[in-house]
This record gives sequence, structure tokens and C-alpha cells, in this order.
Amino acid sequence: MKDTLRVLHMYPNMLDLYGDSGNMELLSYRLKMRGYGFIRDQYTIGDGEKTDFSSYDLIYLGGGADFEQQLLADDLNSCKDKLLHAYKSGVFLLMICGGYQLMGQYYKDSNGQKIPGLGLFDYYTVASTDKRKRCIGNIVIETEIEGEKYKVIGFENHGGMTDNVSTPFGKVIFGNGNKFGSETEGYTEKNVIATYLHGPLLSKNPVLADHILSYCLSRKQGSAVSLEPLDDGLENRCRSVMLKRLLQTKK
Amino acid sequence: MFIINFFTILLGKIISGLLHLFGKNAGNLPGLVLWTLNKNCLKAFKIDCPIIAVTGTNGKTSVTNFIAKMFKGTGAKIITNPEGNNLDTGITSLLLNHCNFRGRVKADYLILETDESHVPVVYSKLKLQTLVVLNFFRDQLDRNGEVETLILKVNKFCETFEGNLILNGDDPNVARLGLANPNNPNVKYFSVEKYKFATDTLHEAGEGRFCPRCGKELKYEYYQYSHIGRFSCPGCGYGKISPYVRFTDIDLADHSFTADGEKYITADSTIYYMYNLCAVYSVAKLYGIDKKIIRKTFKGFRVNNGRMETFEYKGSKLMLNLAKNPVGANMTVRMINECEGEKEMLFVLNDNLADGYDVSWIWDINFSVFNNVTRVVTSGRRAYDIAVRIKCSGYDADKIVVRPDLDDAVKELFSTTGRKFAVANYTAVQPTRAALKRFTEGESSK
Repeated sequence: MKDTLRVLHMYPNMLDLYGDSGNMELLSYRLKMRGYGFIRDQYTIGDGEKTDFSSYDLIYLGGGADFEQQLLADDLNSCKDKLLHAYKSGVFLLMICGGYQLMGQYYKDSNGQKIPGLGLFDYYTVASTDKRKRCIGNIVIETEIEGEKYKVIGFENHGGMTDNVSTPFGKVIFGNGNKFGSETEGYTEKNVIATYLHGPLLSKNPVLADHILSYCLSRKQGSAVSLEPLDDGLENRCRSVMLKRLLQTKK
Repeated sequence: MFIINFFTILLGKIISGLLHLFGKNAGNLPGLVLWTLNKNCLKAFKIDCPIIAVTGTNGKTSVTNFIAKMFKGTGAKIITNPEGNNLDTGITSLLLNHCNFRGRVKADYLILETDESHVPVVYSKLKLQTLVVLNFFRDQLDRNGEVETLILKVNKFCETFEGNLILNGDDPNVARLGLANPNNPNVKYFSVEKYKFATDTLHEAGEGRFCPRCGKELKYEYYQYSHIGRFSCPGCGYGKISPYVRFTDIDLADHSFTADGEKYITADSTIYYMYNLCAVYSVAKLYGIDKKIIRKTFKGFRVNNGRMETFEYKGSKLMLNLAKNPVGANMTVRMINECEGEKEMLFVLNDNLADGYDVSWIWDINFSVFNNVTRVVTSGRRAYDIAVRIKCSGYDADKIVVRPDLDDAVKELFSTTGRKFAVANYTAVQPTRAALKRFTEGESSK
């Protein structure tokens, strides 16, 4: 019997803009095609007491609107110690957009309101008070996965400008990234990927999805797990259409 | 002021005339020029008749066409924008084409589909008598911004609006507009009784799960589709409405409903369609339209134009429906599932400016419920994106055929016989209609 991956999807009813919940569907799909199990537990406001964050293999937060981010900020902060423990013990943290911002020092929204972050990482985010000033569009970044360069394709739509990022997720090839015209995008560590990329992120980047899965499965089994390849024909053609279109218009 | 208005109209007329002379479409450009030159250009028009505006994320074009059809049935002279052109510039162009050189617009009623974000822009300049608001869903987020921002814009307009406000009482995002101006006695809600396929839990991505007044999570007795349903706030009681119109006995098989004690037959029947008709009926009731005309319109009128439009090729029936956001697409998937027997689907996905460049909304479409769909053909600029999306919902990849070119896709679809459905997003719908017409008419005349 193959392992079952357990994922904690935090605030799925509040942070689910732009098809971000699709990332859960993608992980589940790629596991099930290989005979692994997938369990997604949903965390909603007030569940902090009863939730054992460290028992999960992966913790996921999607993107949300300013209004929702304010509603959940207090609850998130009440889980700080438990989340910190999970992160230190190697649970994988995958965070998109609003989820990315909330794990930093703070997020100052477009109304000038400062939402305290969890402070797990040193970066902080400030949004322009001009609501029209947003980084919106297709984006391609180059990251490194197990020593090999890999282009990650997605869609960014954020007003927040993130600064003080020590270890970015990737180098921007097309689009904006952490700030307008930034050279870098997102934040990463061995067991952390925090990024502005929607799309959803894992839909056009199967190698990245498998990288996250191998990390989680290897950690669970205590030895390196190599995943059997899937037929990613459609995904790869989708990638080549987009890469051709985006990287050629740039020139 | 008079001189400026005179020249505004004159200039507009000249541009519009020239465009027509050269056989171009004058749907938007004359208005665009006038808005660029004069932000108050709408004030140059003299309009004495009532204006009825229809707004909301989904269903504007259909509802506008239905209302116009009914008023025409009474013999009234109507000016309307049946093809969209629903921004400030489009509406200005429409008025230019229908006014005299003094800017006078002669009609009995103006029935105007109006983009949500343009409601405040247009109706701060033109006197609006009735505003119909259908629904607010997530739609082209990269273009429109968050739904909340859009609602707040319309809400601000409603704060000082004293005309008739006809609101979907089953959409918490829309019903809240009724609170915007407590001094407006002309707020009216419409509602549809729980139908057969209503659910206890939310099945498709929804918006507005939290009370706009106190922030508590809303409770639902049932969901009709997406976040449309009977909701109430456990904190402050928001959501208790007494509807002006309530459709009951919704029978999708029979294509019928009951309103004010009378049964009506409809041309199509999905829950989504019923809500549109409920808005139409509310306007008809408000303006005292003869029930015979209402009955006739509901029974016989079809908007077509890519909205539940049917095509036929050698005995194989196809229904094409526009779906520009998850809710529209989920409704179409439901419709496909509710159709008995095997069927095939064509999904055409573009990412042009008017669609929004972001196609991640397709991941909010629930394809896992696919019932008896034997093959899927995908097309459009993002044909591979939608193919990946459908594959990862668990659908067999071998049954997916990608044909980015539309003519190829239509040909592929009709390489088999049987029931077909086509779904196309905003800029894809007219090219899809054209390709379907080319194929079904061209091939059968061979």
C-alpha cells in the first residue's frame, strides 16, 4: 500500500481567488495517477485549537481579497507557534499571493491598513494606495529544481509590492514579480514556496508539482522517493505555446 | 453650454455618418471620440422618456433583449443595445445614431444593457428611472478587479438613487444594494423558489459568503446555483426580504413556472434562465405590461446570439452557450449533465483583452460532475489550457482532442453523430457561431 499525503488547506472559503484551489486538485490528480492517496483537510477560522499542524505533509494557503485577508488575520496569528513548529519540523509550506504576503512581517493594504503578518520570514509587503496600480499579466520566471533550471509559467495580479526577500523563488524572465519591474519573484527555502503566481501555479508546471510531491513523500518515508513519470503531453504543449508567445513578444 | 452641446452632437453625427458611409460599425468609436473631447457629452442629449437599465455579471444581454421584446409587443418605440456595446462610449454612440441634430432622442423607452462599472458613469449624466441588477459573480478579475470593488461602485450610485431598484433577492451581493439608500421606497426584490436540483452545500465557486453588514458568515437554507439561494445572516438578520415577484413551481422538464398565481411556459429551462425571466417579469409587472404579451414572449422568444443557440448538422443537434466566467460555465455544464444520454462537448477558450488575459477561472469550473460526456474537443487561443483543466478533473485524456483552429475543431466535432454542446467564452462566441454556420450551412449545401 502506497502512502497517503495529508494536506492542510487553510481558509479555503476565504483564500480561493483565481482558481487557486486548482492546486489541490492538481496534487491530488498527480498522486492518484501513481497510486498514492491524497487527503485534504480544510481549516477554517476557529479551528486553531484542535488542529495539529505538524502532523501534515503540506500546508497550503491560496490568494484572497483585501477584505477577506483582514477577516482572517487575527485567527492566523493565533496559530503562529504551531505553524512555526510545523515549518521548523520540515512540513512543506506552499503559499500563493495573499498567503505569501501573510507569512511575512506585515501587509499594508491599498486602504493604508496594516495587517500584521505571521513573521515566519523577513519580507514585508506594501500595496499602493492607488488601487489601479497593480502588477497584472502573464509571468514567466526561471527557478532551479534539483539543480536544473526550470521555467515556471503563471499569472500575476497583485497590488502589494514585496521587499526584503533574501531567497527569491525565481528570476523574472517575463512580467513583474515581487514589485513592478522586479528581477525576482517569490520566496523559497527547502520546504517553502511562496509566490504571486496564479494560473493555478501547478497547472502549467508539472515538474514543480512533482518536486513538491517528492519532497513530501521522501520526508514521510525517510528515504528518497522517485516518482514514475506521467504523460504530460497536454501540459507540455500548453507550456510551449505560452513560452513561445510570451518570450517572443518580449523581443 | 448650448453651443458646446450643439457642436458635440454635430461632431458625433459627422463621425458616425462617415463610419456608416464607409460601411464601418459605428457601435463604439463616435462615443469614444466624444468622451475624449467632452466628459459631459451625455448631457448634450435631450431625453424625455423613461430609461430602464440592466446590469449584473451574467444575463444582461438576454434580459435586455427580453424586456425590449415585451415593450415592443405593446407597440412602444424602443431604443436598445441588443448586441452589448454596454460601456459609456457604446451607449453614447447608440444615442448619437438615434437623435436629431438638436440632440433630441425620440422614443417611448430606452432599454439599456449597462456594464456594472459604467452604471455610475452613465447615470450620473442621464436620468435613470429603473435599474435592474441581476447578480454579481467573479468575472475577468484581471480586468474588473475584485468583485467587492465593483459592488461598492454600484452601491455608491444606489446611495443617492431614488428610482426603481429591481434586485435579485437571492444574491447576497445584489440584495445589499437595497440597503444603500434607506430613503428610497422603490426597492423591489425578485426571488425564485427552491428548484429540484438545489443543493444544501455550495457546489460551485461563489462570492459573498460573508454578511456585507456585519461580516458574519451567511447561512443558507439551500443553494440554487453558485452563491444564489436562500441566505440569511445569523448575526444581524440580513437577507430577510419580501419579494415583489416570486417564481414558484419551477419545472425544468415541463419548461414552466408560476408567478402571481398563473402558470407560464418558457422556451428554455435552466435555473439560471428562470432567474433572468424573473427579472424580466418584475419589470413587466412594474410597467403594467399585458399578461398576454408576457406569456407570448416567454413562450416563443429566443435571444440566440450564442446564448443557448441551436444548430443542426445531418440530424445532430448542437447547443451553443456563452460562458465567460466560472458561474456561466458551471451552469452550462449542469445543463449538459441534465440532458439524458451520451453527448460530446466543444470548449472554445480565448484570452483576448475583452476576455481578460487570465484564464485561471477555468479551474473554478466543476468538470468532475461530467455525466455521459463521451468526447471533448477544445479550441481557441488557450485550447491546451482548457484541455489540461478537463484532464486533471479526472476525465480520460484519450477522449480529449485539441484543435486550436476553430474550423478544424468544428469539423472534428461533427466527425461523429449525436448530441453536441458547445461552450465559448466572450470573444470566442461570435467566431464559434460563424464557424458553426460555415460548417453546417456549407457542408449541407454540398
